[in-house]
Amino acid sequence: MDNNFDRRDFLKVLGWGGAAVALSGCGNTSVEDGKETVVSYVEAADYVMPGISVYFNSTCAQCDAGCSITGRVREGRVLKLEGNPDSVINRGKMCGLGQAGVQHHYNPDRVREPLLRTGSSGETITWDKAYALIAEKLNGVSGDQIDFLTGTVSGHLKALLGNYLETLSSKNHYVYEAISPAVQRAANLKSYGMEMPRYSINKAKVVLSFGADFLGAWVSPVHFSQQYAEFRKGVDGQRGVLVQVESKMTLTGANADRWLVVRPGTEGILALGIINALGVAGLSLPANVSALVNAYDKERVSKDTGVSTENLVKLAAMLKERSPSLVLLGSAAEGYEHGSQNAAAINLLNQVLGNVGKTVEASASVPFPQIAPTIGNTAGARIVNNRLASGQTKVLFTYGVNPVFTTPAEMGFKDNMAKAGFKVAFAHYLDETALQADLVLPLDSALEDWGTQVAEYQPDGVQISVQQPLMEKLHPNTRGMGDILLALLKQRNPETYNAFDDYYAYLRTALLKNKPQFADSGADDDVFWNGLLGSGIINVSGNLNKLSDKMAVDINLPAPVEKDSKYPFNLIPSVSAHLRDGRHTNQPWLQESPDPLTTIVWDSWVEIHPKKAAELGIVEGDILQVESKSGSIKAQAYLFPGIHPDAVSIPLGRGHEAMGRYAKGYGVNPFHILNRVFDRETGELAMHETMVSISKVGKRVIVVKDEGAAGGHQDGRRIALSVTSDQVDLSEEV
Amino acid sequence: MSVTNLLENWAEFRHTHPVDDVPHDPYKWAMSIDMDTCTGCNACSVACYAENNLPVVGKDRYEHGQAMHWMRIERYWPEDGREFPDQGAQFLPMMCQQCEAAPCETVCPVGATNHTADGLNSQAYNRCIGSRYCSANCPFKVRYFNWYDYPTTENVWPAEMTMQLNPDITLRGKGVMEKCTFCVQRIRAGERSVKNEGRILRDGEVQTACQQVCPTNAITFGNLVDPDSRVHQQWKAQRVELTVDEQEKDKEEGGSDLRGYRILEELRPYPSVMYLERVRESAI
Repeated sequence: MDNNFDRRDFLKVLGWGGAAVALSGCGNTSVEDGKETVVSYVEAADYVMPGISVYFNSTCAQCDAGCSITGRVREGRVLKLEGNPDSVINRGKMCGLGQAGVQHHYNPDRVREPLLRTGSSGETITWDKAYALIAEKLNGVSGDQIDFLTGTVSGHLKALLGNYLETLSSKNHYVYEAISPAVQRAANLKSYGMEMPRYSINKAKVVLSFGADFLGAWVSPVHFSQQYAEFRKGVDGQRGVLVQVESKMTLTGANADRWLVVRPGTEGILALGIINALGVAGLSLPANVSALVNAYDKERVSKDTGVSTENLVKLAAMLKERSPSLVLLGSAAEGYEHGSQNAAAINLLNQVLGNVGKTVEASASVPFPQIAPTIGNTAGARIVNNRLASGQTKVLFTYGVNPVFTTPAEMGFKDNMAKAGFKVAFAHYLDETALQADLVLPLDSALEDWGTQVAEYQPDGVQISVQQPLMEKLHPNTRGMGDILLALLKQRNPETYNAFDDYYAYLRTALLKNKPQFADSGADDDVFWNGLLGSGIINVSGNLNKLSDKMAVDINLPAPVEKDSKYPFNLIPSVSAHLRDGRHTNQPWLQESPDPLTTIVWDSWVEIHPKKAAELGIVEGDILQVESKSGSIKAQAYLFPGIHPDAVSIPLGRGHEAMGRYAKGYGVNPFHILNRVFDRETGELAMHETMVSISKVGKRVIVVKDEGAAGGHQDGRRIALSVTSDQVDLSEEV
Repeated sequence: MSVTNLLENWAEFRHTHPVDDVPHDPYKWAMSIDMDTCTGCNACSVACYAENNLPVVGKDRYEHGQAMHWMRIERYWPEDGREFPDQGAQFLPMMCQQCEAAPCETVCPVGATNHTADGLNSQAYNRCIGSRYCSANCPFKVRYFNWYDYPTTENVWPAEMTMQLNPDITLRGKGVMEKCTFCVQRIRAGERSVKNEGRILRDGEVQTACQQVCPTNAITFGNLVDPDSRVHQQWKAQRVELTVDEQEKDKEEGGSDLRGYRILEELRPYPSVMYLERVRESAI
């Protein structure tokens, strides 16, 4: 390192810039530490003993929840992943999606060489050529013509990415997640003063969830599942009660004590109706709240939402009696043009119930802004799409996203992409977006790469999760994203970045630089570093955000929409815990793992209520054409009692036209028929606003599912038993 | 064990179910599953694929009922005739119940499935001739038959996928029956590792793959004859006895307010898995 190198710049290079906690100012920690010979543990034959498994800690990258994992490694091969018990996020547990992480790593359809497309043909090229090509294409392009479209990024990868963008003089880093609670974040910021507070399901006596699938795919499902288990065991011996309000039953809804089907889009009205009923039941309401909910009497609310007045009154009574409670909201309430209003009404209910500060608690902010997670939303893809369409973007980089698959076809992302002169996809697989790129750069799998991850949802302080390779690279010509960025940075700013041989050296230097924050300042570097890799976790206390509890009453909910005779059904694109937005559909364990509610495998389906199906003469397996004003898809019918009769639901994640043998050609993609309707305040895609018609096409198939011939009925046999809480004594249970 | 030995001493090998003079010692592996905390998320099922080298059979074979999921989640709807399932669905994790008097064992023509001293219902793959009588006789339908040679001819584990396979477990060829083993490879490895210390396994030292992954800790596995084990304490607290076909608590007038039960107990297979009934709030 040059001696004239400025310390502040140096911190920024390493990702600690703008830190809100004091960094150690003393010592002459040298970047030269990064120049030492690094021998990767996987080469250390000393403790690779044939027949003996060794275990290494790392971080799961299947979603952004940041669960810590322990990989079982034998003879240099990673065999299985387990949860790391020391993590405050997942406490030794995992989900099925995380388990399938090894199938991401060993997937036979991974990209193995850099690929260059010329016209309709492609060729493999060397990395040197690929880097040279990028330098060439960036030459003469101004910063505002260069866009990065990525998924959620955090940790030192984000720091490097930020630094790279800066050397390009580009501010165009757009972060995109197709399924993201973005409306809720905006509403939370208004209600609670922070986008993502801590939720304590385990402290609540009643949880009322408006479509938040916290046991399935919402925010941090493994963490919430553990809270849920405690909640069921009860606080002071009183078992927690879960009430779920939604139009299509989610996994969480299937576990509810009371599942209330609600007319799609009227979640906010129901929330205000409950506040009204609480007032009637004797809860004192602030005058402005009282004025707001005055018009939402139980008869009107029942008529609008379809929830019976009896249930409304019972629910209010229970919420009043059993405190604290917790009100959650999920995509089902957010996904409308008035999604922000729904969210505000639901948050207001939490405030009225006095839950803020009890079960909705302040979260800690990550003290290092450069590595704090940048969370995606759907607006990211919309902005880039507009920029592409208008020719503003000349060079596009994509990483961790597949917008060609996950945006409504009406947006024309695929065609707009062609307007950019040069598209680079950093990819594990040739997915729909990578196929449109000019240059595809193959990435290391998450089990081969170094990194740090900081999750958005932090249950206790801030956990920085360390990711380390669990085995040698499978394919010699893949690269870690960090290494690629470092190589690109060296092109632009060699004097600063040549000091780092690779991303490992960078990461080690960066983490050692901040050693005093994480360990005894006297600790030896190697001891500290090995300890870090041993635990896989760095805990910092972070600074607690300030929780605010300001009741906003400027809520304006539209009356329920009258049915359109041409498109009479609400389309509910459902999110499954395993397939999410389709980025893991090529993992065969997940394809063959039955959907928990329908038990269907390897295909898409259309859920329709049996009563409605009978009305329309539809039976299971009928191929239905589902048509919105933006397009149509065909899929098999499944008669599903847990759905509003005026809605149909199709799961997201399937319907790939690329991405390898396990994904391509299975099912249909409902993303493509979504209408371009957006939440009025945040501009987020209103995923539940698409209206569709359904018609039989005259073909019938056998639905491939796990459910037996009886269709999931016990026919009076004592198989899966249930008991009401007043008939059972839980106090003496072990 | 020669066949002659097997036939001559059949009564000893064919340990129907524990009787007072032949108690389980030092192990009797058993499980309990709390259906009030089980959410039906399928993590256990995927973990089982990862641990036990289960083949992914694909859509067509799944349609033919040839899925190999040793651990499956059954889903039941309430049958009260209401328009909506307003108390949710009911999930039941179902795998081999490791019956003490297993109906599958008695019908095997070659003794491929038999009972171990620690109470497991074991399957000797290389003795199995594929008669499938065991599967026909299993009341829980948890035995899975290899209709194809998945490891070698069906390309179930193409290229690098083979590197994930657990070397502690064999791959099963065509014509062989298989099922949940309570992760016997983990049990045996655990037993070996504590043998050097001259002791037996303590509670929690061996976890099954499904138990280890379960995000809600709904699955408890352990040694039923160890009074310190959680599974022993749960069975005891729920007053569920291993060796009866009807529990004392169920004979009492008015029934019991405990929720432990075993599925199809009345058929007298003496299952080693106790389920805890799902609870639903009565006040709402």
